[in-house]
Order: sequence, then structure tokens, then C-alpha cells
Amino acid sequence: MNQQVNIVVVVDVIGALSDGTLRNGNVMMVDDGTLDSTGQGTPDLCTVVQPGQVVQWSALAVDLQTPVEIRNITFLGAEGNGSNGSTPSASADGEKLDLETWTGVVPGYLAPGVAQKYRLELRMHEGEHSLLQIDSPALMCP
Amino acid sequence: MTQQLAIIVLVDVGTALTSKTLDGNTYLFDNMQFHGSTGEGTGELVTAINGSYWQDGSQGTEEVLNWLPYSLGSIPPTLPRGYHAERSRQSDERALADLRALAEKPLAGAEAANEVNRIHRGVGHRVKATGRAHGATGHKLLDVTGAIVTDIGSDTHSYPGPVITDIRGQAVDEKIMYPSEYGSPDLVTDGWYWSATVDTSRPGTYSYTMQIQLHDLVQEGGEWHWEPVTMTCESQLRIITEPRRNGFTKAGMGVLPIAVPAPQA
Repeated sequence: MNQQVNIVVVVDVIGALSDGTLRNGNVMMVDDGTLDSTGQGTPDLCTVVQPGQVVQWSALAVDLQTPVEIRNITFLGAEGNGSNGSTPSASADGEKLDLETWTGVVPGYLAPGVAQKYRLELRMHEGEHSLLQIDSPALMCP
Repeated sequence: MTQQLAIIVLVDVGTALTSKTLDGNTYLFDNMQFHGSTGEGTGELVTAINGSYWQDGSQGTEEVLNWLPYSLGSIPPTLPRGYHAERSRQSDERALADLRALAEKPLAGAEAANEVNRIHRGVGHRVKATGRAHGATGHKLLDVTGAIVTDIGSDTHSYPGPVITDIRGQAVDEKIMYPSEYGSPDLVTDGWYWSATVDTSRPGTYSYTMQIQLHDLVQEGGEWHWEPVTMTCESQLRIITEPRRNGFTKAGMGVLPIAVPAPQA
């Protein structure tokens, strides 16, 4: 088993901003985990991870000259309710998202077979329409 | 950062050739104003390059720059490659049709001569080129609307687009960036483009010089030529570098923030 699982979020930034959604094929997520993750290539990726593994998220733009950064990743809890509100908070100019790495260790207390959904917030350029999010991806212990 | 930076070099070719300088005739833009670039749309662009480093001090991100030269007062480079040739051919066909019509008309000598002169003027002028005059080599002189230029002295005409032929200067000498010209499948850039990777580990402001080739229309021995004219223009990179941090903890790596399940009653 690899010590680290990488989750790559591939974003069609122009498509996402035009459609106002990360769905419609504007986001696809893949991981390199060795367990049986589901939903590869979709925004519904469920990555199967072991406690103690390191998970790292990164965002890539389909068009390399468009900007995209991960703004936040929030685990939604068993009921699927986030601790934050359902709409992303206004983008603060000057956030230096390009400096952030999204990496963490899978805790030991996750119930096996229960998908831990998370909200993935992406920022594309800046301004009031620059933030979009999905609640569909998940981590799960086997 | 994974985003590549584009630097647009927009040149007012006609005025630059007349005034023999790119100063005041070049407009630079990049796509990083929101990361702190200044002087967008002027000749004084300072491109912000925000680098980062890891805890051990090593470079955290690689930056890639791409330069794209564009022309003010030229036929857009997005038109099909055969556009100039096609317009030249169409004007020849029109002249032949006019001559055929003239031959069938019973006109007096002077009138016929006037008609022939009119057709001759409408044929336009072929221009030869030395250097890399994009899309204009051996074809007729056109204006920016694609019409044949009949009177070179008084009509305005389209210029071949500017071509970057070198990037050098402080930023290159000090090994801050490594520019090179690459082949490209994108014919909008004539199949070539300049690109560079940037070392973000040494913050500072560094200047660089672009050598740009323009083409001036000159007459030599009764023939018109596109003559290459080389000019230079300066720009700057401002490099900063900051430490990378974990998005979850805003510090080092920790356990993922997943809620501990409530104990079952």
C-alpha cells in the first residue's frame, strides 16, 4: 500500500465559469489509490483510503493559461451537512491560494464502508463569480 | 502554481516603423494582473511572478512564461493561411475578366487606354519578402480589410505581424529565466513561439529585452519588398517567493478535519 494517495481535480475553467457549475463535465477527479475507488473521472469520486495514509489534493486546469486553485475542502459529516453554509463565502482578494497545499492524514476513527463526503471549493481568477463548489466527492475506509 | 503566464506584445507596426522605435508603440499585457502585475496595456509592464518554497527552502512551484506578439494595423493572424494567396488570385481573375469584357467592347483608342489603365491599377502590387514576413511573401499588398491596395503612396496597407527573434538581458544573463523558441502547432503564431521557465528562488525585479522584427515596405529597382527591421523593447519580471503552507491547518500537515462520530447511545 502506498503511503500517499493523490487526488487530482482537473478543471475546465472556461466551461465551469460559463456554465456556472463544476458539473456538466467541467470537473473530473481521479486518484492513484490502490484500493477500489469509484467514480474515477467524475465529480463523484469516492477514494478508498486506509487510516494513516496521507491524502493530497491538487487542482489542474485543462487550459494551462487559466487559473484554478483549491480554496477549501470541508468534510460534511455523517448527515452530509457541512459545518459551513451551503454557499461559498465571498472571495477575498489577496488570498494566496497558490501557496496552499491540501494534504492530511486519514484519521483512525472512520467507520468502514461509510463515505465521508466533502465539499470542494475552487477559485478561478477572482471576483464574485469566481467561486464554485461541489459536495459530491468522498473518502471512504474499506 | 500550475497556470502558465501569457505575455501579449502588441505593436503599432506602422508607427513604430515611421518613428523607428518601439518606445511608445508597444502595448504589453499579461494574464496576471490579479497576482500583482502592473503597467498592463502600456510599454511599462512589470509581470508579477509569485513563486513559493517548501519548508526545506527548495523551490515549490515552477513558472512558465509564453510570449505572443500581435500587430495593430494588420490583417488578423487568425485568418486561414491561404488568405493572402486567395485574395491575390481573386484580383488576378477579376482583372482577366475585365480585360475579356474590354476586348469585346468597341471602344475608341483613348477610352480603351483609360480602361486598361484602370484595370492595371486594380491589379495591385506584389511584394517580395526577405526575413519572416508572415503570410505576405510574394502576395499582393492588402489593406486591413483584405482589399487590394492600388496606390501604395496614399492608401494605408496591412503590415506583416511582428516576430520575436530573441529574448535576452538581465533576467537571462542572471539565469532567472531560460527563454527559448519552440515550434508550435498553432499557426496563429506562425508555428513558433517563445517560452521560458523561471527560477523563482531569487526574488527581485529583473529586466529583459525582446528583439522584435518588423517589416517595412520599400521599393527597390521598381519592385516592392518587405524589408526586415529589427528593434528592441524592454520589460520586467518582479519575482517574489513565499513559504508554502497546509490549507487545512495553515501550518504543517495534520490529521484530516473529519468529525469524530458521535458515540452511539
